[in-house]
Amino acid sequence: MSLKAAPNLDILPMACVGLILVLIMMMISPMVVTHTRTPVDVPAAHTGQREVQNDISIVLTQTGQYLFDDEPVATLEQIGDLVAAEIARDPYILVVVRADRECYGNQVLDVLSAAKKAGAVRIVCATKKLTTKS
Amino acid sequence: MRRRHVERRRNDGLIVNSLVDIALSLVIGFMVSMPIFFENGIFVSAPGVAQAGGAVPAGSDIKANIFLANDGRIMLNEVQVPEDSLRVLLPRLLDRSVARRVVISNEELVLYGDVIRVMDMAKQVGANDVAWLRTRTAP
Repeated sequence: MSLKAAPNLDILPMACVGLILVLIMMMISPMVVTHTRTPVDVPAAHTGQREVQNDISIVLTQTGQYLFDDEPVATLEQIGDLVAAEIARDPYILVVVRADRECYGNQVLDVLSAAKKAGAVRIVCATKKLTTKS
Repeated sequence: MRRRHVERRRNDGLIVNSLVDIALSLVIGFMVSMPIFFENGIFVSAPGVAQAGGAVPAGSDIKANIFLANDGRIMLNEVQVPEDSLRVLLPRLLDRSVARRVVISNEELVLYGDVIRVMDMAKQVGANDVAWLRTRTAP
């Protein structure tokens, strides 16, 4: 019985490719996972739920600017129209409101009201995960 | 000549272990740190407009109404409570409620971050549903 020589597998390129893939994934995934590319300092919370599904996002920046799916929108009425158009396509679409934590609560309420008037039934206030005990 | 040949053969056997270790560490670090980058969300019942001190719809269920004032005061069912006490009192109130619904309202200058903090706390202590209402006047 003769021992077969072990095949000389060149594992280094595979490891390199794997490493590069991991790095690319690490860089891209935060951009993909967050609802929009607009950076907003959303408030932190312990109890947020994660919903990975088709959604629309309304952003309210600290300066009071509105964005609908990353596109600047001038007025709340326009936001209402855009939400209504999306609701017509999917009545149960998730509306994610991403507001800066330094905004006034009533400004956010205006956005929520506009979404509600447009027919949104599932509204979520975006938060980031709070890991420390407050 | 022979020595150089031996050295070259020694270099051929690259140590992949360290590379794999680094990749594995990166993956683990990535998995651990990803929740920080993820955004979550608190489901909010569609907002309405409530007249402070106005007529409350009739019903036998116990209500948990939280009002946030501009000066930082927190009112639970129109009684001022410190935030620490709210964390204790709210679950007691919710235990007697069927719907376990918390209604939050705020004055004009209350920051969104503060509202979310109270909402988060309500969820933490067992609220099933959090509604955010607009008030026209302070109580």
